[in-house]
Amino acid sequence: MGVSLYWFQCGGCGGDTMSFLNAEEPDLIQLIDALKIDLLWHPSLSNISAKQHFAFQDDIINGVRPLDILVVEGSLIRGPTRTGMFDVQRGRPKKDLVAAMARRARFVVAVGTCASFGGFGSDTYVQSTGLQFHKREPGGLLGADFLASSGLPVINLSGCPCHPGVISGALSALVEGVKMPLDEFNRPLAWYGMLIHQGCTRNEYHEYRVEETDFGQKGCLFFHKGCHGPLVTGPCNKLLWNRRSSKTRAGVPCFGCTSPDFPQDYPFFQTRNIEGVPVALPQGINRANYLVYKTMAAAAAPERLKSRKTDI
Amino acid sequence: MANRIVCDIPLNRAEGDLEIKVAIDDGHVVDAWSVGTMFRGFEQILVGRGAFDGLVVTPRICGICSTTHLMAAAQALDAVAKVRPPGNAIRLRNLALMAETVQSDVRQSVLMFLVDFANPAYASYRFHAEVVKRYAPLAGERCIDVIKATKYMLEIVSLIGGQWPHSSYMVPGGVAYPVNGPDIVSCRHILRNFRLWYEKNVLGCPLETWNALASVSDLDAWLADKAHRESDVAFLLRLSKETGLDGLGRGSERFLSYGSLDLPDDTMLRSCDGGTQLIPSGLYEKGRVQLFNPNLILEHVDHSWYADEPEPLHPSHGMTEPYASGSEGKKYSWSKAPRYDGLPAETGPLAERLIAGDPLFTDLISRRGNNLVTRQLARLTRPAITIPAMETWLSEILEHSGSPCYTPVDESQLEGEGAGLIQAARGALGHWVRIENGRISHYQIITPTAWNGSPRDGEGRRGPWEEALIGTPVKDPDNPVEVGHVVRSYDPCLVCTVHRVGRSGAVLQL
Repeated sequence: MGVSLYWFQCGGCGGDTMSFLNAEEPDLIQLIDALKIDLLWHPSLSNISAKQHFAFQDDIINGVRPLDILVVEGSLIRGPTRTGMFDVQRGRPKKDLVAAMARRARFVVAVGTCASFGGFGSDTYVQSTGLQFHKREPGGLLGADFLASSGLPVINLSGCPCHPGVISGALSALVEGVKMPLDEFNRPLAWYGMLIHQGCTRNEYHEYRVEETDFGQKGCLFFHKGCHGPLVTGPCNKLLWNRRSSKTRAGVPCFGCTSPDFPQDYPFFQTRNIEGVPVALPQGINRANYLVYKTMAAAAAPERLKSRKTDI
Repeated sequence: MANRIVCDIPLNRAEGDLEIKVAIDDGHVVDAWSVGTMFRGFEQILVGRGAFDGLVVTPRICGICSTTHLMAAAQALDAVAKVRPPGNAIRLRNLALMAETVQSDVRQSVLMFLVDFANPAYASYRFHAEVVKRYAPLAGERCIDVIKATKYMLEIVSLIGGQWPHSSYMVPGGVAYPVNGPDIVSCRHILRNFRLWYEKNVLGCPLETWNALASVSDLDAWLADKAHRESDVAFLLRLSKETGLDGLGRGSERFLSYGSLDLPDDTMLRSCDGGTQLIPSGLYEKGRVQLFNPNLILEHVDHSWYADEPEPLHPSHGMTEPYASGSEGKKYSWSKAPRYDGLPAETGPLAERLIAGDPLFTDLISRRGNNLVTRQLARLTRPAITIPAMETWLSEILEHSGSPCYTPVDESQLEGEGAGLIQAARGALGHWVRIENGRISHYQIITPTAWNGSPRDGEGRRGPWEEALIGTPVKDPDNPVEVGHVVRSYDPCLVCTVHRVGRSGAVLQL
């Protein structure tokens, strides 16, 4: 008997699936083979008939067919007015199908920020929510007390999209029974225990407060361009993307897409400032101390950084 | 009408699922409705946000073509700012978009289209065992190979923009950061490896050999050559012939391209129509190309779940007010119905080839009429013309190395209206934006799938793939593989139908 896995797409763009197709060592095929995954359904990959697919779905919901892993991609759409009719399958709100399958699954995994926290539409009449969180608040579709039959809560793998290495890493850990310590949002610390900022090649510019004021420069993007690298956690500069790079390395601010608040309600390319100091400061830092530290750091900045000689 | 049945067919292996409702009479489709069943409200999310925020929000509309939304959003803001990016910025933007498009063309053709030939419906055909070996989902040799090769192609996007999918490196005025010479050289290695793989496995011959085919008889001779028979292109053509699909999926014979890939001032590449874009714009109908006029685009909502409007609106002042109760069952989709000069139009790679005057595809359409095989062939072979253009632009970037990649645009000073009209992988994509006081006050998007998969309009005219389904034989309503072939030949991207098509479900209703 293999490990049965059912992948359900709800209110999303399919980007986590596209990201997963980029997985390396193991790639998607190797992962399925190594973990002996019996992929009951994936909306982009399966070619079974609709009739057979819905038979699987019914059997899972009725407890006839055991389900090891339920993966949900995309937000749970509750609108309009809590009916869920903005996103339906077989005339039924998808959110209800997810809730019914989650009760039968050994593990439930939310892939991407939409499935984890609601993401796009969580502040509009679309009424999106996450599986077990609504933004920062525990609850979401399944409720704060939900535990899958393994005894674990929903494992949240946030990111827009989620990094493919995180998806394959988390699935491997669950199947192999490897313990994954979680953070306060039920995300594995292995990938959400460090700031995006860690590993950014612009780090030294941040350290000495050499600020980028417009695109095309080498300085730090945190002070003016809206970068969330020092504010949110995630693996982008640890694992890198497509084996090559990350947004901050390519001069694009981190938008904090792993955060429960994503998409934030303020403009993405601007840093909110109070007298030249960002409103939001790196986690756990004292504002007055930060001000002193950064003033001194800027004064100590070596010439090679001030003149942007150091490459990124 | 004793044998008339109506089925709701959930269609997966589209980017997002889709529900096709068909009426079948004596084993043939006699009517069809394309039903989008998900609404995500992206246009409303944008209103009130920062002027540049479309660059972050709109790529998240679609996981397989996020770069195309980024390009349309950036070009719409270029238009608002009245700025033309420097030459190398145009090249970098184009390269990223082309890399994504090549990825999409090959992934869709093999993982989503050819996979259907491994369906049990074809179990009695002599090709079946071989096709299962090649194209079975997640197990077929070609599927495994395509997953591997396409992801390396996407590393070009990552080297330019940091990651794929969902980055925001195209900004009004250019790109966020220049790419250094060694990374451009890496892009050339990636592209070279991809070209060799594509020629050997997908095309079965050098790009130049394929690009020299100029008529149906050239194509027949190419197919008869044993050297080509193991390629995916040959399989597409042979399987379609053996299963009798080559006459199906005619649809509308009106083809639309907005034009795409701006030419830098000092490039060696030339547009075939002498214009300013590598992919020309136009409307192809009855063998003639007419000039494209963006003012002739209107969106109907008569059959869509939106509040009725007195008349169809141009997207620069279109509305998106969900109205889900439907007027007596008349409304049936979350997709609006875009029309060009009052009529439906098909868009995608085939439209691009016809409007560009490609001799092979012009001959195919004039001799055989529009059909699903020609539509899919245009997609699977588009990389043959895309890859050489990418090679030229990579070389030109190195020749102009050190030149600027960004012309400053101040977000806080931005004011006015603009449109970004491009050719995405699936066809014509438009973003229409208005900025007031540094904030977005209006945003409308029309996607390629809104064109191809549109519901009926105010005159009751079907959308292109609704029309293409008429006459399609359906042997087994429980496994209507023929309907899948027709609709998938348009490369449906349902998450992309912003307003917003998606998902379905549905059991057979007898």
